[in-house]
Amino acid sequence: MIDIRGLYKRYHQHSAADWVLKDINLTVPTGVSVGLLGRNGAGKSTLLRLIAGMDTPERGEIHRRARVSWPMGLAGGFQGSMTGRQNVKFVARVHGGRRNVQSVIDSVEAFAELGSAFDEPIRTYSSGMRARLNFGLSLAFDFDVYLSDEATSVGDRAFKAKASKAFKERVNRASLIMVSHSEGILLDLCQAGIYLKDGGALWFDDIREAIAAYHADSDAVLSGQGISSATSSAATSSTATGARRVPPERAMTVAQRSGSASTVRAPVPSPTSTAVDGNDRLDAQQPSAEGATDDALEAMDMAELRHELRLRKAAFDRVKATAKRSASGGAQDSTDRQQAAAITIARDRLHTARRLLQARKRQAPPSN
Amino acid sequence: MLTPDASPERSSWEVTRSVWYAMFMREAISRTMADRMGWFWMIAEPMIFILIMVAIRSFIRSDGLIVGAPFIPWMIVGLMGFFLVREGMMRGLGAVGANQALYAYRQVRPVDPVLVRNFLEGMLRSLIFLLFIAGAAMLQVDLAPDNALLAMSIWLSLWCLGLGLGLIVSVLGTLIPEVGIILRMMIMPLLILSGVIFPIHNMPHWLLEYLLLNPVVHGLEFLRQGFFEGYQRVPGSSMTYFWLVTLTCLALGLALHLRFQQRLIAQ
Repeated sequence: MIDIRGLYKRYHQHSAADWVLKDINLTVPTGVSVGLLGRNGAGKSTLLRLIAGMDTPERGEIHRRARVSWPMGLAGGFQGSMTGRQNVKFVARVHGGRRNVQSVIDSVEAFAELGSAFDEPIRTYSSGMRARLNFGLSLAFDFDVYLSDEATSVGDRAFKAKASKAFKERVNRASLIMVSHSEGILLDLCQAGIYLKDGGALWFDDIREAIAAYHADSDAVLSGQGISSATSSAATSSTATGARRVPPERAMTVAQRSGSASTVRAPVPSPTSTAVDGNDRLDAQQPSAEGATDDALEAMDMAELRHELRLRKAAFDRVKATAKRSASGGAQDSTDRQQAAAITIARDRLHTARRLLQARKRQAPPSN
Repeated sequence: MLTPDASPERSSWEVTRSVWYAMFMREAISRTMADRMGWFWMIAEPMIFILIMVAIRSFIRSDGLIVGAPFIPWMIVGLMGFFLVREGMMRGLGAVGANQALYAYRQVRPVDPVLVRNFLEGMLRSLIFLLFIAGAAMLQVDLAPDNALLAMSIWLSLWCLGLGLGLIVSVLGTLIPEVGIILRMMIMPLLILSGVIFPIHNMPHWLLEYLLLNPVVHGLEFLRQGFFEGYQRVPGSSMTYFWLVTLTCLALGLALHLRFQQRLIAQ
């Protein structure tokens, strides 16, 4: 189990503004593999380094009640002038294997399949070869938690398959905390997810939810940039049919409440990102495209909520299909923007409903 | 498969010991084998240096004999002692940066390579000195210490001074690259100011007061006394002063490492 309490981290002293990580409270249970998601610079690698004990936080603490590996990654871990064998020997000695050094070397040599390159200096290795060596090296030790920072991203197909097989073999004994932008491998190896955003961390029991949240936000940022010059009325969905307007403040509070409901263990992120803000406002000012407004969702029971979710899913699919058709037909730039905005709105509505439904499911006792 | 720790948890001392062992093995190999002709230069460098200095001295003949010690052994002892301090300092300068990749393992701290390198360097320098003494004996030059106990204790003291300077320089030189440049510039004048090549006995008193601020002078004078029974030390040289400076350097160096550990790792 890894316990993170009130963690703060920044790299530049004396300026209060740029916390990389702000008040992170997380518990990673034993045996649960976790995927770390977030934009570039969101602090994924920093969090991993902190968990590994490479770095110390400015405030807060991390309790490692498990044997934790070093962060396997593209950078670091090997000294370039020494051969692969010498580096492996060094790491085995550091980890206290005086008598077992040879067995570690043998197992790494077998796993990494580097051939004669094993006795060449590390600086002559390609990034894929480094990754193989690093991966094989950490697998030679019996850690409870393995940390991976894009370690598998540069490997070839066979190596990726081998790596994930090796992890699945020891899934009962060990877990994994990994940073990856390849969602296939996250879905394959992880159960839970952590989404890092604006210095905060959101815990998701299901990695798919974490990926969905990450997608929603990154799409919002994309379309937020796209529609910055367009007027809000231009972004109206084409299927808008008579629905009432929602005051912006009201919609915001609903969005916050439904957002916090899905983050059981993690702190509520402050919704301060301007891109997200702008999107919420846009959403609120639009007439609802299909069915009920967001604040009406709270009043619904489970069956109605499921129905609403299906409706919103259908609306989302329809908007997306329209966008695809016009994109293949060579549409104007302004229509593109409108459609992008419409897709974002539809997706947000879909996610709001889905999050609420999932939160309800969790609160309700199992029906058996 | 290797379980990282045989017992549930290794003690801090056990972890540190295995880091030092691993680091020593790697440093020993890269120091002696990785450089081309690493061994050769280790012995050839001081030898060539001595030959050049002897040639210059016999050419200039600026001042008289050294009281109580033959000239060439006197200079060899001084050079060896000076090199011990110099190498302790200069090896420390690159130690932190050269092992940057290894701080990925949380067991390894920036202070470890500095300590290990200094230990290794001291061992090598001692070995080379012994080789020189043996070589001199074969050439019928008396380089054996008259007071071996004093010579050895002073040798260890100089080693400690090198370690202290190495600890300080390893932090400052990594955080401020200019420190390294200035140090390399200072080494050559320091060789002369420490009285390695020319004796400083005959310097005027007002200048001697300043020269004696340099702790290396004190160490070298006592080292020479250990080697040559009747040697007249420079008046005012004292081991108390030497050890005060050494302990200050050690404490300051360790404190700097504690204070800037995170920044050294994150470099």
